[in-house]
Amino acid sequence: MIPMTTNRRKPTSRAWLSTLALVTVVSSMPALAALGGDVSSVQKDRTRFKASLQLSTAAHHAVHELTAPTGTVIREYVTDDGRVFGVTWQGPFRPDLRQLLGPYFADFQQAAKAKRTGRNGPLSARSSRLVIEMSGHQRAFRGRAYVPELVPADIPVDEIQ
Amino acid sequence: MTARRARRVLASALSTIAAAGCGGGSDGANSGNNRIAPPDGANVVAIVVDSGPLGSAGAPVGYVNGAFVIVTVCVPGTANCQAIDHVLVDTGSSGLRLLANDGRAGGKLSLPLPPLEDAGKNAVAECFQFVDGFTWGQVQLADVRVGGEMAGGMAIQVIGEAAYPVPDQCLGLGSDEDTLEGTSGLLANGILGVGPFVQDCGPACATAGSGNPGVYFACSSSAPGGCVETAVAAAAQVSNPVAWFATDDNGVIVELPPVPAGGAPTASGSLVFGIGTRSNNGLGSAVVIPVDDRGTFTTLFPAQGTRYPDSFIDSGSNGIYFLSGAATGIPTCTGSGQIDSFYCPPSPLTLSAANQGAAGAPTASVSFSIANAKGLFDSNNAAFSNLGGENAGISSLNLPASFDWGLPFFYGRNVFTAIEGAATPGGTGPYFAY
Repeated sequence: MIPMTTNRRKPTSRAWLSTLALVTVVSSMPALAALGGDVSSVQKDRTRFKASLQLSTAAHHAVHELTAPTGTVIREYVTDDGRVFGVTWQGPFRPDLRQLLGPYFADFQQAAKAKRTGRNGPLSARSSRLVIEMSGHQRAFRGRAYVPELVPADIPVDEIQ
Repeated sequence: MTARRARRVLASALSTIAAAGCGGGSDGANSGNNRIAPPDGANVVAIVVDSGPLGSAGAPVGYVNGAFVIVTVCVPGTANCQAIDHVLVDTGSSGLRLLANDGRAGGKLSLPLPPLEDAGKNAVAECFQFVDGFTWGQVQLADVRVGGEMAGGMAIQVIGEAAYPVPDQCLGLGSDEDTLEGTSGLLANGILGVGPFVQDCGPACATAGSGNPGVYFACSSSAPGGCVETAVAAAAQVSNPVAWFATDDNGVIVELPPVPAGGAPTASGSLVFGIGTRSNNGLGSAVVIPVDDRGTFTTLFPAQGTRYPDSFIDSGSNGIYFLSGAATGIPTCTGSGQIDSFYCPPSPLTLSAANQGAAGAPTASVSFSIANAKGLFDSNNAAFSNLGGENAGISSLNLPASFDWGLPFFYGRNVFTAIEGAATPGGTGPYFAY
C-alpha cells in the first residue's frame, strides 16, 4: 500500500507552503474538537489518530499536517488567531470524522442522509455552516470540509486542499 | 486474533486456494467489446438494472443505476442454501455483504451461518468503510454461489446490528448503511464486491497496533464496548468471492447494453467471471488500464487536457462523478437539496476524456454524455447512461480532482476488472480494461 506521501501532491509553486518546519509535538489533551475549535485541538486529533505532525505556515494561516500510521494524511487549516477553519484527509482509510469535524459532525451526517436517495457515490454538500466533499472507494478515500464563516477573507476557498 | 488462530485460518484458506488451482489460461475468443454473453454459461450470471428490491411498502425502493445479480449462500459444505436477489455488483469494493433479515435491517438473509471466531471464541464483526458511511455486522462463513461458480467456506459480512451494537469508533465514520430503507439505507439486499483487490482490508488489518485501521472487531458481549478492534489474517478477511472460485478466478466482466438517451426502466446484461479463461470472456480489443495499489489510474479531461489522478471505475457509483460545476462550466441542478450536486445542462452534452494506466500508459479514450439529471429523475426510469454530478477536490494540486466512472460508463461497453496478482492474457492484475 502506497503511503499517502505528500510529496506526490505537494504543489511546487505555492508560496504558502514554502516555509515548512518540523514541529516537536508537546503532549497535551485539550477538550476541544477540531473543526471550528482552538488550534490546540489539533493535538487532540494527533493523539486520537496516533499521528505524526508537520506544521507549515503561510500568509494568514497555518497548516497542521497529521500522518496516521494507517497512511492517511489529515491537514488542518488554522487562522492566525488560532481557529481551525478547514480540514482535509486522504488515504486508504477514513479518519474518525466525529473527532475531526467536532460540532459539525451532525451537519455532515445530515448532508450525507439528504444526498443518499438517488446518489450512490461521492458526497458534495454546501450550506452556510459547512461545506463538505467526500470521494473515493475501498483503500483510497479523500475529502475536505470547511466552515465558510471562519475562512479568512483573503484565502481562496480552493486553497483548502 | 492470536497467531495460532490466525495460522489455522490461514492454513485453511491456503488449502482452499491451493485446491482451487489457478484460473486457466486458454485464449478467449476475440469477440469484440460490445457483446453480451448469454447468461447460460457456468461463468455467467444475469445482471438486471432496475428500481431495486421491494421495500416495506411493496414497491421497489427506487434505486437508480443499480446493477443487480442473484447470489446464493449456503451453510458451508451443505445444501442448506438461500438465494438473495438484488445484490449490487460493485467494482469499487471487494467482498460479499448481505443485509440480514433480523427485524431491523430489512434484508433477505435469514440462513443461519457459522460465525468467524477468534481464538477466544469471540465473534468477529466488521465496520466496513464506504465513501460517507459504513456497514456494520458479523463476519460469517458461507459457500458463495454465483451463476455456476462457487467460493467455498469464505468470510462474508452479514450487515445488521441485532447481535452487536455499532462500536463507537465505527459511528465516527458517519451514518450506518445497515438497513434496506431509511435515509441512509443500502437500497439493496447486499453488495457483491468484485473490485481489483482480493481482501476488503488487506495487510493493514492483519497486524495489531497503531497501524490497524479498526475495520475488524472481536465481540465478547453485546453490551456497549463489547466489541474491540482486532487483527484478522488477510486470508480470513472478507474477500472478493471471485478470487476464491475454483476456476475463472482472475477477474470479472460487466456487460451492459446501451440505453436510450432518456433512460430505460430496466436493462439486462451479464456478469462474466474470468478473463481469457473461456471462449466467452476474452479481452478482445479492450485496452488494459493498470491501476496502482489504491485501485486508481489517471483520467485526462478533455482527452488531451488536464490530468486527474486518483480516478477509478466503480459500478457501485450510480453516476459519472467528476470535477465541479465551477470547474466544468456545467450547471448543477437546482431545486431540492437532494439533486443540487448533479449536473443539469439545459441540453445533453457529449464530452471526451481518456483514461491512462497508473504507470503512464496505455491510454484509452472515452466518449460520454451528460444530460439533465432532474429530467432523468423525473422520467422514473432506472437505467441512465448520461447521469453525472460533482466530485470532491476542486482544481487543487495536493488533493486533485478525479473521475469516478460509475455505472453510466458501463452501458454499451464490456468493462473488465482484473484482480491483484492474478494472471490474465492482458497481464497480471490489478487493472481495468474496456
